Amino acid sequence: MNDQGIKSRPAYAPLARDPVGRTHLLVADSMAIPHAAFAPGTSLGDYDECWTVEGHSRAIPSAMPDARMHGFRSASHLLIALRRRLAMEYMGFRLYAIGTEAFLWDVAAAAEAAGMGKEEYALFHAGSGARRVLCVHCRTLNQGVTTNLVACGGCGAALFVRDHFSRRLNAYMGVQVDAEMPGERPDVEEIYR
Amino acid sequence: MIRHDPLAVRVAAIEPLSATLKRLTLESADGGALPIGSAGAHVSLILEGGDRPFRNAYSLVSMPGERGCYELIVRRTAGSRGGSAFIHERLGEGSVIGATVPHNLFPIQRHARKHLLIGGGIGITPLLSYLPALRQGGERLELHQISARDEVPLFENLLAPHAAHDVHVHAGRGALDLSALLARQPLGTHVYVCGPAALMDHVEAAAAALGWPASRVHRENFGAAGGDPFTLRLARSGREIAVGPDQSMLDALEAAGVPVPSLCRGGACGECLTKVTGGVPEHRDHYLTDLEKAEGALVMPCVSRAKNDLLVLDL
Ligand code: FES
Repeated sequence: MNDQGIKSRPAYAPLARDPVGRTHLLVADSMAIPHAAFAPGTSLGDYDECWTVEGHSRAIPSAMPDARMHGFRSASHLLIALRRRLAMEYMGFRLYAIGTEAFLWDVAAAAEAAGMGKEEYALFHAGSGARRVLCVHCRTLNQGVTTNLVACGGCGAALFVRDHFSRRLNAYMGVQVDAEMPGERPDVEEIYR
Repeated sequence: MIRHDPLAVRVAAIEPLSATLKRLTLESADGGALPIGSAGAHVSLILEGGDRPFRNAYSLVSMPGERGCYELIVRRTAGSRGGSAFIHERLGEGSVIGATVPHNLFPIQRHARKHLLIGGGIGITPLLSYLPALRQGGERLELHQISARDEVPLFENLLAPHAAHDVHVHAGRGALDLSALLARQPLGTHVYVCGPAALMDHVEAAAAALGWPASRVHRENFGAAGGDPFTLRLARSGREIAVGPDQSMLDALEAAGVPVPSLCRGGACGECLTKVTGGVPEHRDHYLTDLEKAEGALVMPCVSRAKNDLLVLDL
């Protein structure tokens, strides 16, 4: 069982470099960028710079990378460098992100905080489909949820993971599964991989 | 459709600023408070005193939120037989005229990280009301006023209360590199331009070429430029109305006693939309889509004209 009635899941289209942009930065939370992330006839080579997450301590921390390709230790390091970069950028800049939904919407939040609008950044979902789930009863964020039902790490409520995604909170909503019909619970299935 | 009774306003003061510019101070004729205009708002004056009524839109240059008076600046356009000549020649202190309540089709964008203001000539007027509002809000701004060489001191005077390192007056278009200016703006900037159509088109095109999203470029469309005279025919009555070279279709219709609703009188708001049943319009508005313009079945009479001698309207 999943939540077919509610469709506020973001949709993602493959990326293509915006021909009117002047500077193009691509960020990804993995080194393995799938071909499907790029629109037909386009590729990674179209972008001026590419920042990825290596997920390894051999990556040298750098607040202001200058090479065309740069690997970060973690998504957090990448996001810190991105915020500094955006604060110095000019109109005409374009930002592209590839990765898990939580990463994509962290990037989107950084872009919006820097004054960018929807026309100036683009997102593509790749990698794990695990969800960040907000318990609407106690506001705990449950990370990496892959099942339709999850026990909230904060209040212990049996949460049903809805398809309702909040861009502001960067999380899916989790609500008490048997709130309306006590005792009535669907089977647990792993559906968000 | 938005309609308001015109306000009755009394001309409290007329101050000549130059040979062609006058500042008007208007107060409510009954001494009461006036409706508030926000930064960038305009009012249309309704001038009945001539042989035909004129309606001209002017930006408020008084402090945004001011309720005691409206201030506006009127340029006498060369060869004008319309409202600006009437104001310059026939309006005196104490005259009572009609005015619409303030409307704002050129508002400050609240989410902007920085406001880049570009004025050309008398296009400075809406930006004059922006300055105090932006300063009060502690907003980041940069203003560039482009002026004819001989009017530089005039605009410097008008801007004097707001003079600072981020306010500049340039003698002539060539004195300002618009592309370089637009290229060095930080993320999150909005640009506002008011002035001759050629300047506004130039800013729009230069910004687009530099990758500015269209939603960050704002223009104030005032004052229909003239063109060749032509004739309007009203399909329902068969009546014919001449449109003079320095008169808009809307002015001509109003002068002939044919009411057409209007708001911005600058081709931006869509209020004056009128159906065409014959002839080919020459579109000058920013309201109709390219497809609608190509079809030619609709026209915005406040700015657009006719490609041939005759245009037939469904009126
Ligand atoms: S009055 Fe606004 S478009 Fe004509």
